[in-house]
Amino acid sequence: MNSHQRLRVDCAVHPQPETSDELRRYMPEPWRSRAFPGPERYFYPAPNEYFRGSVGASGLPGSDPALLARHIFGDGHVDLAVLLPRTRGLNPDLDLANQICAATNDWLASKWLTESNEHGRYFGSIRINASDPAAAVAEIERWAGDPRMVQVAVTMQAHRPYGQRFYHPIWEAAAAQHMPVAVISDGSLGVEYFPSPVGYFRFHAEYSSFYPLNFYYHLSSLIAEGAFDRYPALRFVFVDGGSDLLMPFMWRLNNNWRASRAETPWVSRLPTDYLSRHVRFCTSRMEGPPDPAQSTVWAEVSDSPTLLMYASHYPYWLYATPLEAVSRSLPDDMRHRILGANALEIYRLSQAASAPR
Amino acid sequence: VERIARVEDLTPGTVKIIPGGRFGIGVFNINGRFHALANYCPHMGGPLCLGDITGTTVADGPYSIRWIRDGEIVRCPWHGWEFDIAAGQSLTSPVRRIRKYPVHVQNGFVVVDTEGHVRE
Repeated sequence: MNSHQRLRVDCAVHPQPETSDELRRYMPEPWRSRAFPGPERYFYPAPNEYFRGSVGASGLPGSDPALLARHIFGDGHVDLAVLLPRTRGLNPDLDLANQICAATNDWLASKWLTESNEHGRYFGSIRINASDPAAAVAEIERWAGDPRMVQVAVTMQAHRPYGQRFYHPIWEAAAAQHMPVAVISDGSLGVEYFPSPVGYFRFHAEYSSFYPLNFYYHLSSLIAEGAFDRYPALRFVFVDGGSDLLMPFMWRLNNNWRASRAETPWVSRLPTDYLSRHVRFCTSRMEGPPDPAQSTVWAEVSDSPTLLMYASHYPYWLYATPLEAVSRSLPDDMRHRILGANALEIYRLSQAASAPR
Repeated sequence: VERIARVEDLTPGTVKIIPGGRFGIGVFNINGRFHALANYCPHMGGPLCLGDITGTTVADGPYSIRWIRDGEIVRCPWHGWEFDIAAGQSLTSPVRRIRKYPVHVQNGFVVVDTEGHVRE
């Protein structure tokens, strides 16, 4: 094992603007003057909402670069971090949503990936509005060749599941740049369904426990529609957890795929056979078996050594350091893959990580 | 060894189930050739030979779909697993094979050796 595989990578840090208005500085008129929802307007506020230590002197948690760096690199002991800002706020205006995505990207590139990145340890995500494929492709191509941007990011809620061909131009553009597509629960760009298929939860615990399971619907769509067969370089990262229940869901898909294989002959492999090449999940400290002695068994069932990547989710209340997120009872090699090696590979960070800093 | 039907009574595209083995034997006429398979799906034990005689699909890429091998495939009525009748092999999980029995035509009758095996 070389030294790169010992690097720790945090795959989801969520920097925030100090206020909603900070983004406006990156927007042209008439959008700069247009009202749009703020970042904190959503159902199901979490207990304390934010990781306590992240609340700074001014501005939203996660908006102070010095404080964020101290937590992530100091207390968290990670070496590299993928920044993934949220755009949340219900907003059915496609053109305004496109502008918010572009402004978020310009803000991230300027404030976080340039001014606060002398150490070179931050990498960014290109926020796009998947509801508008042409604009999304243009936004991906606007950042093509910028080595600071390592993935494309979309909201979990969508007008239709992400495998459908409506989206294929976006995935083609992302795959052409060798950028994974991150899916994140994020009050959406213009669409908001029931957070569960049976209706609205009343309480945060229900939402937090089961909302990430909606990832599986996108994943089954991507497999069944042949998106991974069409774009061999396409990869998806599901950011809010869910790897712990992945395999039982996939077993169901395998069984049903066998039974109706002839309907989708372009699905060239068993559904589970797509995972290692095309799919990753981030850690969440709200999952896993209750008995630590079972952690290794369940991690093996879940193919965690291949599919799982550490994420702190800073500054939200689910914030977890590597020690908190990844059980120490796991074998060393498995822990190192989850804590960094998998991310180095999928984000192609090895070259960047070897640069002096 | 049993004479199970007159050749003209087991027409192309049909199957006749006869006693034999533990689960019965399905004798198919596929394009004028006779094939005898154990009536037992290796997936979950369903009565495979009672399934539809059909074709299957193949894709040249995502969203391409072509119908092929019409009348050469049987689909298990329980879970839809597809089998190539002539080969006695599953298309759904190609490692799975079904026992095949020797069949021949003698004096105008279809004759099945219900104790025999066809070795591939």
